[in-house]
Amino acid sequence: MAGDADSLPELDQEKYDADEQVKIICLGDSAVGKSKLMERFLLDEYRPQQLSTYALTLYKHTASVGNKTVAVDFWDTAGQERFQSMHPSYYHKAHACIMVFDVQRKITYKNLTNWYKELREYRPEIPCCVVANKIDADLKVTQRSFSFGKKQGLPFYFVSAADGTNVVKMFRETIKRAVEYKQNPSDFMDEVMQELENFDLEKKEENSEADEDGLTAESPELA
Amino acid sequence: MLYEAKRCGVKFSPPSVVLIYQHTETQKIRKRIIPLRNFSKYSDYSLAAERLKNNPRHRDYLEAVSQSQLEKLHIILRDHMQGHSLEHSLASFQLDPDQDLNKLDDEELARKKGQMDELFEKNRRHKDDADFVYDLEVEFNKSTREKCSWDDESDNEF
Repeated sequence: MAGDADSLPELDQEKYDADEQVKIICLGDSAVGKSKLMERFLLDEYRPQQLSTYALTLYKHTASVGNKTVAVDFWDTAGQERFQSMHPSYYHKAHACIMVFDVQRKITYKNLTNWYKELREYRPEIPCCVVANKIDADLKVTQRSFSFGKKQGLPFYFVSAADGTNVVKMFRETIKRAVEYKQNPSDFMDEVMQELENFDLEKKEENSEADEDGLTAESPELA
Repeated sequence: MLYEAKRCGVKFSPPSVVLIYQHTETQKIRKRIIPLRNFSKYSDYSLAAERLKNNPRHRDYLEAVSQSQLEKLHIILRDHMQGHSLEHSLASFQLDPDQDLNKLDDEELARKKGQMDELFEKNRRHKDDADFVYDLEVEFNKSTREKCSWDDESDNEF
């Protein structure tokens, strides 16, 4: 179904240019527990917005980083992983990525390679971590060392969405890294965008709503 | 939570969800039979499960029963209405750790998720539990870790 992205304020990705807004995406196979992790972290704050047209679930969260209040949007896949690949807009303007696998299922670990490859095509530099979920099923896995992501220096977490082990720690550290990345982007395109924004300050008024597709809009304007 | 769900299952005739629960104050164990009057073999199991979970008359009793588990019960009932055996339904819930779940459709995936949810619910710490710790941190000893066999194969690019 062709949706009109402009009519959905939730999908206005321009807002992620504002200093106090970050976007964090979740990647991983079906049924590794991505939504369960979100739910455990957010608890009462848990109010997902299902955007089924886009096979997407958004979770909003307000975090304190240092002395700043930051609005965090978590993007979760809602079945899009079925296509073994995500729509480019999923990665667009993301500031950090949480990659999840299920310690009970080897294939979900092996598939991290594909998810990571795709992530780096779109976002070569954003902070990313590897999350081993469902350790409550068999605590012995925590005596193993998983080498995926070690070379890239990705932080690794043993977590359980069921009993809560290390879930909050993982999210807090990822949010912090997302904010740090935003303040100091090492991605070349991000820097160019930032420059363009500053440059365009005076011309802002002339900027009309010309984007035909809010999902992929790249128009450099201040949100 | 006023009612603590202990077990739940189904009754084929008339199609119903059966819940065994304990009243947390009186400690009495009771059985509640919830007939699913509008559920047919053409019904959407997911929608029906969601409706049941939010039903004002039942939701307090079903608070501790997950959506996935209710979906699983609806699937069993619908399978029965479509002429499938209970064995067939139960087999479809079986987890094969090597199966790529990305390749399943919504319903097949729901069957597997319902199964996974049983372990999840069993190990789950609820925010209402007295010993609940929101920010639970556990350090796992890194120095004694052994190499994981999942990394052995040469097909690993990283």
